[in-house]
Amino acid sequence: MSSANGLVCFTNCLLPQEDGGLVERDLWIDERRGVILDSQLAFFERRERPDRIIDLGGNILSPGLIDIQINGAYGFDFSVYDGDEEAYRQGMKLVAEKIVETGVTSLVPTLITQEKSLYPKILNLLHPFSTPTSATLLGWHAEGPFIDMAKRGAHAPPFLLSAPEGIKSFESAYGAHNLVDSEDWLMATEGQCGVRIITGAPEIKGVVGAVHELTKRGVVFSIGHSAATSAIATAAVMQGARLITHLFNAMPQLHHRDPAIIGLLGASPHLSAPAIDDFPTPTSPSAASAVSGVTSEAFDYQTTPGTRPTVNRTASVSELHLLKGQVADLAFERPYYDMIVDGIHLHPNSVRLAYSAFPEGCILITDAMKILDPNLRDGVHEWRDGKRFVKEGDKLYLEGTDTLAGSVITLDKCVRNFSRFTGGSLGEAIKCATFNPAKCLGIENTKGTLRPGADADLVVLDRQGIPVSTWVKGKQVWGIPVN
Amino acid sequence: MRLIIRDDPLAVGDYIANYIAKRINDFEPTPERPFVLGLPTGSSPIPTYKALIKLVKDGKLSFKNVITFNMDEYVGLPRDHSESYHTFMFREFFSHIDIPPSQVNILNGNAEDLIGECNKYEARIKEVGGIELFLGGIGEDGHIAFNEPGSSLASRTRIKTLAFETILANARFFNNDISQVPRMALTVGVATVLDSREVVVVVTGQRKSLALSKAIEEGVNHLASWTLSALQMHPWALIVVDEDATAELHVKTVKYFRSIESVQHEVERSQAALKAKGVLQAGAAEEQVGSME
Repeated sequence: MSSANGLVCFTNCLLPQEDGGLVERDLWIDERRGVILDSQLAFFERRERPDRIIDLGGNILSPGLIDIQINGAYGFDFSVYDGDEEAYRQGMKLVAEKIVETGVTSLVPTLITQEKSLYPKILNLLHPFSTPTSATLLGWHAEGPFIDMAKRGAHAPPFLLSAPEGIKSFESAYGAHNLVDSEDWLMATEGQCGVRIITGAPEIKGVVGAVHELTKRGVVFSIGHSAATSAIATAAVMQGARLITHLFNAMPQLHHRDPAIIGLLGASPHLSAPAIDDFPTPTSPSAASAVSGVTSEAFDYQTTPGTRPTVNRTASVSELHLLKGQVADLAFERPYYDMIVDGIHLHPNSVRLAYSAFPEGCILITDAMKILDPNLRDGVHEWRDGKRFVKEGDKLYLEGTDTLAGSVITLDKCVRNFSRFTGGSLGEAIKCATFNPAKCLGIENTKGTLRPGADADLVVLDRQGIPVSTWVKGKQVWGIPVN
Repeated sequence: MRLIIRDDPLAVGDYIANYIAKRINDFEPTPERPFVLGLPTGSSPIPTYKALIKLVKDGKLSFKNVITFNMDEYVGLPRDHSESYHTFMFREFFSHIDIPPSQVNILNGNAEDLIGECNKYEARIKEVGGIELFLGGIGEDGHIAFNEPGSSLASRTRIKTLAFETILANARFFNNDISQVPRMALTVGVATVLDSREVVVVVTGQRKSLALSKAIEEGVNHLASWTLSALQMHPWALIVVDEDATAELHVKTVKYFRSIESVQHEVERSQAALKAKGVLQAGAAEEQVGSME
C-alpha cells in the first residue's frame, strides 16, 4: 500500500536521537524519493501532509543498522571468488536482500586476506550496490594483507604482505584504480570505486607511512590484526587512522605500562604524540613475533611488549585548567573502535570497560562469516580452501582449533547484548550500530540518522530490540506488511 | 462575559477542547463554509491542544474544514527556529491533527514588506468570512497576543515592538540571553480579536491572577496594561480559568460566575430541545444563547 501524495507519517513511535536518547515523535518520509523529510518544512513550504499514517504502536523507529565488518552471510562469502563474476554478483545480491531481516540496511562487505592476484578482481566487483528491496553494500573493507603475522587470527600466513613502498605497495595489492582519489569517489555514484575501510597493522614496514595518503583519499584506515605498541598505535592515529578493528581481538592485551592499541581509548590529553622518528623501526615488532613463532591468538599474552614504559612522549605545553567536568583538548582525536558483542569474542565486562572509556567512538559489528543465517543449525560447515567451521550457538571456530574465526551473530542481537552488557539504554546501543558507524565513514548525513534529507532506511524494533519490520528507501522490504 | 472555573490546567484544557469541538461540530463546516478559528501560542493553551489532538485521534473532531489564523509571530526569527511560533504550532498541534496545510495561516515575520504582510492577513481573514472563534491566552500584564500595554483598542494586525517585560520573560527560551530575543513581532490587533464572533481566553496559574482580576472586576483599561479587559466590550466572550488564577478575585465574583454556569447549561439544554422539535429555525442554535452578555 502506498500513499496518494507519496508522503508517509510514522506515528506513536520512539525515535533514537544522535545523543542516544529515545523521544516520542512522528517521522515523515517521502516514499517516492526515499528520503526522510523535514516535516515542518513540508507542512509550511510544500503545504503537504502525509496521506498515509502508520501507527507503530509504541515501537522504536530506528535508522537502519549499519554493519561495517561482515565477511558474508547466507552461504555466500565475500572472500571467495572462483572466476565467475555473475555468480559473485548473485551472491552480493543474495546477502543484500536477505540481511534486512536482521535490521541491517547498510553494510561494508569485508575481505579477509586474499592471494594477491584475487584482490583487483574482487574489488572491481564490490562497488556500491543495492536493489530496490535490498540493503546497500557501501563498498568494501579489506582486512589484510598488511597485517601482523603474530596477530593474524584466521588469515592465511602465506598471503600476508608488508608495504616497503608505502602507498605504492597498497596500490599494487588492491589495484591503483580501486584506491582512487577522494574527490573522485566522493562524487561518484553507484558503479564507482568502493573503497571504505582498510584494516592493517601499523607496525608492518611501510604501513604507517601510507596511512596519511590513504586517509587523504577518503579511506578509513583501521588498526587491527596488529601488535603495535602505544607509540606506534598513537603515530598511526596522528597520521589519520580513525578506527580500531574488533577491539581486544587480534591485538596485544591491555598492559598497564604499555596499553598499546586498546590504550588509545584512554589517550591522555596531557601527552602529545611523539614524532614518527621516535619509534622502533617499523619492522622490528613483527620480526620479533615471527621469530617467537607464536601464531595463535590464544597465546597473545606471550608477545605483549615490555614491562617498562617504552613510550618516549613529551608532556604537552598546555596548562592545567580549573574547570570541573571539562577535559582539556586532546592532542589528537581518539579513534572509533568496533566490537563483536556476541559475549564470546568479548566478555561483557570488557565491552562495558571500553564503552565507559569512550562511548562516542563505539561501533558494533558482527564480523559474521558466510554461515550467518538466523535459521542455521549448529554443526560443521564448509568454509574455503578445504577448511571447515564448527558452529556452536554464537561460537565459530576453525575445525580442530580453538581459534575464533569470526562470528555468526546478527547485528540486531549485538544491539540487545550491548544494552544488556553495558546496562545502557536501547537507544544508546542503537546509536553504536547506526550513527557512530555512519560518522566513522563520514556518511552521517545520509545513513545511520533520522536527519531530514537522509535515506529513509529504517528498522522498526520492539521495545526489547527485536526487529519488527525493515524499510529501504521508504519502502517496506521485510516484516509483516503494515496497514 | 462568562467565566468558567475548573480545578487545574488539565481540566481547563479539557473544558475548552470540548467546547471548541462542540462549536465546530455544531457548525457542520464544509469546504464552502469552513469554520474559522483563531489560535494562540504559549504554555497556557498546551493542555487545550493536547485535548483537541485526542479528540481528533478518537475520531470525534476533524479539522478538514477548519481554517486557522494564528495571533502572532516574531519578526526576523527563521521559520524553523525552535522558538518560532511556526515551530510551536507545528510541534504542539498541527502535526498531530488532520488540518490541510493550506488552511493554516501564520503571519510571516520574515516578509520583505512587513506592513503589506499585516494588511494581507487582515484581508485574508475578511475573505474567509471573519473569525468564528478566537482562542487566546494572556501574559502576566494581561496582554493578548503581542498587544502590549498601551495598544489601541481599535488596533489591527501590525508590527509591534515588544515590551521589555515580554523580552525578559521570553529570554528563558533564548539561552537566557536577552540580546537573542527578537525585538519585534507581527500581531493581530485588539480590534481583530474583538471582531471575531466569539472569544475564548484561557487563564491559568497564580501569576495571571492579578491580570484576571483587573480584566473582569475593573473597567476597560488598556493603558494600565490590562488589554484583556477589552473583552468586556465583546458580546460573546468566555474566559476559562483554573483555581490558582482566581486568587485575586473577590469571593462574590467567583460565586457569581459559578452560579451562572449552571443557569447557562439550563438555557442551552432548553434551546437545543426546542431546535430538535423544530420550533427554532435551523441555524438559530449557532447564535449565542443565555444570560451572559
